[in-house]
Amino acid sequence: MAGAAFVTGLALLPTVAGAASYSVRSEVDATRVGVEDQIQLTITMEGSGGPDTVALPALTNLRVVGGPYESTQVSIINGRMTQARSWTYALQPQAEGRAEVGTVTAGEETAPAIAIDVVAGSVRPPQPQRRRDPFGMDPFGRDPFEELLGRRREPRAEPKVLIEAAPSRRSLRVGEPLLLTYNLYTQVAVSDLNFKEAPQFAGFWTEELERPQTPPSGEAATREGEPYRRFPVLRKLLFPTRAGTLTIPAATFRIGLPARGFFDEGQVVERTTRPVTVTVEPLPAVPGFTGAVGRFQARATLDRETLPLGDAALLRLRVEGTGNLKWVDRPPPVEVAGAKVYPPQVKSDFDVTPQGIRGSRTWEFVVVPETTGTLEVPPLRFSYFDPKAEKVVAAETTPLSLRVEGGTVAAGAVAPPGAVAAGGGALPLRADLDPSVLAVPSLGGRTVAALAALVLLGHAGLWGAGLVRGAFRRVGGHTTPVRSVRAALRDIERAGRPGMTKEQAAALLDKGLHEAFGDLDDGDGSEKARAVRALLSEVHFVRYAPQLGDYSETLRDLAARAGAAVRRWA
Amino acid sequence: MRSGLRLGALVLGLLAPLVSGARAATADARFDEANDLARSGDYPKAISLYRELAASGDESASLYWNWAQAASSRGDQGEALWALLRARELDPGDRAVRRDVEAVRESLNLDPAEIAPEPLAAAARIARRFRLDVLGMALLVLSLAAHVLARLRPGSRWPVSLAWVAFSLGVLAAAAPIAGTLARPTGTVIRRGAPLLDAASPSAEPIGSLREGEVVPILEPGGSWLRIEDASGARGWAHVADVRRLDVPPDHEWPER
Repeated sequence: MAGAAFVTGLALLPTVAGAASYSVRSEVDATRVGVEDQIQLTITMEGSGGPDTVALPALTNLRVVGGPYESTQVSIINGRMTQARSWTYALQPQAEGRAEVGTVTAGEETAPAIAIDVVAGSVRPPQPQRRRDPFGMDPFGRDPFEELLGRRREPRAEPKVLIEAAPSRRSLRVGEPLLLTYNLYTQVAVSDLNFKEAPQFAGFWTEELERPQTPPSGEAATREGEPYRRFPVLRKLLFPTRAGTLTIPAATFRIGLPARGFFDEGQVVERTTRPVTVTVEPLPAVPGFTGAVGRFQARATLDRETLPLGDAALLRLRVEGTGNLKWVDRPPPVEVAGAKVYPPQVKSDFDVTPQGIRGSRTWEFVVVPETTGTLEVPPLRFSYFDPKAEKVVAAETTPLSLRVEGGTVAAGAVAPPGAVAAGGGALPLRADLDPSVLAVPSLGGRTVAALAALVLLGHAGLWGAGLVRGAFRRVGGHTTPVRSVRAALRDIERAGRPGMTKEQAAALLDKGLHEAFGDLDDGDGSEKARAVRALLSEVHFVRYAPQLGDYSETLRDLAARAGAAVRRWA
Repeated sequence: MRSGLRLGALVLGLLAPLVSGARAATADARFDEANDLARSGDYPKAISLYRELAASGDESASLYWNWAQAASSRGDQGEALWALLRARELDPGDRAVRRDVEAVRESLNLDPAEIAPEPLAAAARIARRFRLDVLGMALLVLSLAAHVLARLRPGSRWPVSLAWVAFSLGVLAAAAPIAGTLARPTGTVIRRGAPLLDAASPSAEPIGSLREGEVVPILEPGGSWLRIEDASGARGWAHVADVRRLDVPPDHEWPER
């Protein structure tokens, strides 16, 4: 058993042989056996660049009764892949006494010889009675070595492998970095490691970190009183994006364990980390603070101190330090009196470290002076939260001066980004101010609405006045509708005009008077009735009288009198 | 006493044209000075003078036309479009202004609807262009006079017809300027990438960015801030340094952020 553990341990701790890229070792499962027992010899070559085969070493007092059985094993530990090829032989001692497996040679590499003590009889534990398969032998479920070597392999115990997520801290501010390391603790060899479920980091920005430089054999560690080898398998840098209690959920890994022999298919186990809870404090709300957290310095430079009008200068604002600068997109506002400042180009140079993101971000502003003289670039303030000082501080640049010379810039000499020349060449300026003086001032919509309302009111007033007047007329005995009065007056007026025969004119007068007064009652002796009857009598006389002279004067007189009667009584 | 008042009124009446003429001469001189600055490439000073003239009440389509040329030459296409639209407000019949509005709009990759969010504002411009306000009022007054005449001369039919025709045409003509008053005031985004904020405060959170040159309805003015609605329907606050109103001349003082 001790030998088996030793062999397993060796698989995790490969021999380092100078600068060679491969190594070879020779192992037996027991160094003291009975003459009736058998020995398993395993020759293993790890690494790349070695020969394709390894010759059987010289055997003393031993003979080969099985093998060689070749197997290949790939191990991935801490991101490094190693390949191992094994050749397994079954050896039978020939006589009591000393036996030896000779030196194994593979190219330039060698493995030392192994001495074996052979005693009488058998020293191996008795072979346990195997329950026979009632349906016959399973050709795939049995290990031929079990029959060959006269013993049964030990069932694989639950491997002692676990994964742990270790945060660098449990309490921090929004934007501060949190280093999260996934460590593999193992007592056995591991051939493969991958996520079954990739962890989700809700509420965090994440950055991948390179794996730390650890020994291939890992580091010694103790978990619950048991010794383990620890391998950091994954590291992430997390930046909380919101305040509150954030939880990094559990992550499940699939861990492959290598085969222990030719007929062992290996094993895959799953291990899950525990959720990690961290407390995130909010950042203070300060005007002008854009969320940068860490420690930074700011510096502003101009690519020149003097330039002619029409040329452009480059203003660089460089902020460098350690923190979450990678997510700070907005530069501080830059305004230069007398110059046009265009939106900047951004250049970044970042290096992700366990302490945070270290590096710089540079905003390059194109400054196009628009007037001559000395232009002042005011100090630029970059505000950030300093976790050590627990407050928002500002990194301020020194003021800069830009001298602009000349003053004869031609139109179009400056080609600011995005500019579209209005006409091209000389500006198509208008020479006269030509203020819009209108003979009648513009009234405006509200004035028009108010005046229109007044006009409508006037119309309504006139209409209402007509109604009131009609009502008064009815009260005063005027019973004829206004419309009939108007029609009667029109007819009477037409009758007074020249150009008609006396019959036509008289007919119109007759019609008009009847329209205005209707059929008068013969018994009516009122002044109105008498006057209208007198008028009608005269009209009839003119209408039916022979044409003995000019009746136009008479007709005009009749029309005037008829109109007056209508206006008075109708 | 009364004779003294009459004398004073007479003196003022005689001096008024002189004062007005002197003011016009000063405005013309400053306009020429601004034009010279623009030709020499000193656009900021030229625009500053144009602004002073406009704020003093010496607004004209020509002034805003030149302002637009200077702004365009310094790369401020949004401001150039604002000046042209302001010129169009003052003189809707200016063909050159209308042509340049289209040219700058296309250079800013704006859809025609993005500079005309208020259709009723177009009705107001048509009314100003064809003086429909004056025409409508004249027709309405004529209809009233004809109505009075019809009442005075009940026997005459033509005043009634005239009153009806004039009234109908007057209402039609007056409808355009009255409809224009229902349009919301608008402003033009003059700064590229101007933020649309969730509150009228410098520390407010941006909820979007505005397109340079876009004309936006102004929902509520609030000091240095305007509550606006952009073409996508998002409502928020913009600083007056980013969005310049089209319905009023610019102030003497530039708003600064």
